[in-house]
Amino acid sequence: MATILLVEDDDLVRDMLAQVLERASHHVMNATNGEEAAALLKDSEPDIMVTDIIMPKKSGITLISEVKNKHPNMEIIAISGGGRLDPTGYLDLSESIGASVSFEKPVDKAALLMAIDLLLQGKHSSAH
Amino acid sequence: MDDQLKLPEQYSNNYKKTKKPWLPYLIAIIGSAISLVIWYFLIYNYKSELLVNSFYISLPWIILISGVSIACIFAIYFRLVQLIHERSLTLKQMDADFKKEIIERMNAEEGKQKLEISLLQGQKLQAIGTLAGGIAHDFNNILYAIIGYTEMAQEDVMKESLVYKNLGKVLDAAKRGQDLVARILAFGRRHIHHEFKPIHLNTIIENILALLKPTIPASVIIDLQGSKEEYIILGDQTQLHQVIVNIINNAVDAMEDEGIVTMRITRLLANNTFLSQFPDLIANNYYKIDIHDTGRGMDQTTLERIFEPFFTTKEVGKGTGLGLSTVHAILKEHHGAITVESQLGHGTTFTLLLPEYQPDKLPNKPKEQTDGHHITSGR
Repeated sequence: MATILLVEDDDLVRDMLAQVLERASHHVMNATNGEEAAALLKDSEPDIMVTDIIMPKKSGITLISEVKNKHPNMEIIAISGGGRLDPTGYLDLSESIGASVSFEKPVDKAALLMAIDLLLQGKHSSAH
Repeated sequence: MDDQLKLPEQYSNNYKKTKKPWLPYLIAIIGSAISLVIWYFLIYNYKSELLVNSFYISLPWIILISGVSIACIFAIYFRLVQLIHERSLTLKQMDADFKKEIIERMNAEEGKQKLEISLLQGQKLQAIGTLAGGIAHDFNNILYAIIGYTEMAQEDVMKESLVYKNLGKVLDAAKRGQDLVARILAFGRRHIHHEFKPIHLNTIIENILALLKPTIPASVIIDLQGSKEEYIILGDQTQLHQVIVNIINNAVDAMEDEGIVTMRITRLLANNTFLSQFPDLIANNYYKIDIHDTGRGMDQTTLERIFEPFFTTKEVGKGTGLGLSTVHAILKEHHGAITVESQLGHGTTFTLLLPEYQPDKLPNKPKEQTDGHHITSGR
């Protein structure tokens, strides 16, 4: 069980992903864009952040680079369906600036949960 | 008024072209000279007794005057005939020139119209591409939510239950939607830069056909004609693959699984008149690939809309209507062109044009390829 910050502007996708994560017994914090996520991160430090890339107010790319500076230990998973660019373009970029894993939408549920588990295991083993 | 009757300058020069302009003058001179000789002969050889008769006195003079007059009349007659002949030649020439000019103007007008149509088509495709990309992105999210919730709902019911099976159908339908979205997104992203490399056109086509063969009915024959010479273009192998596969699949569909697809590759030099139909192509040598099928052909209405996105003649669910618009976009990206000719009952011919690879000429040659050593042969 981990605390996961879920950043996604599309309500439908966010609610669905939140439910997927909660079913896997994770605690989920929701944010609808980069700015809200940054505000939430002032008071709390989740284990993992799952973020969309194309969002209003503050994009996932800006958010990832800020989070990597302020919370270097936080694991980040980037997801994107692509906009004007190929999603792989955004995802490669997000990995290059600090995301541990990236997924193209639609993310396979099992793959997402497995990635979260692996990242948590890595965190725990490096902590010991 | 007079000005209107005058011939244009280039035509008035034609008068000088008459073959024997001196002939009328020669006739006048010779005629006059003969009359003069007769006059001289008569004046100096007359016997003196004859000079008493007034008729004999005036005869040499009558002969001289009438001889000179007749010579002059003949000369004037010949000159007039010459002038009429010249004028009719000039008029014929003018007539031919005017006809030529009318044809040239008509061709220019037609070229202009073609360019306008292709510009309009290009803008339309671009606008629809952008719109489609935007819609597809949102639609993808909706489908993603449907899939996610459906999968979760499936977890909550017994695998043997009817609810589980029906949710499976929902998943299938949503996944089909996703497939469609992926194609629309791919279409919307056409303008994104692809890595172009020098590639062997004929080898790539042979490879594509080899890959396609198992997927097409045995009753369809694909006949590839072309030189064994290596034709090199600058392009993206995957995209070219998409182009050929799309056109061949359309051909196979149009032939209702039976017939012959003929592919012919020819090299056109930059000054080839065929290329003048495509005013927006850059001056270069081109490879022309004709793909002809013996299918049912198309009517004019279908032909006009064939490269439009979402236009399809196939049954609902069988075609997305994106295939040929993507092909059109890919050809454009390769600085090439595509045209189609078809007649109901007489099959269809797609003609693709791709510029020959000339390292110094093409605008988007990739940096790492400037020495042109690495050439992909396709696989």
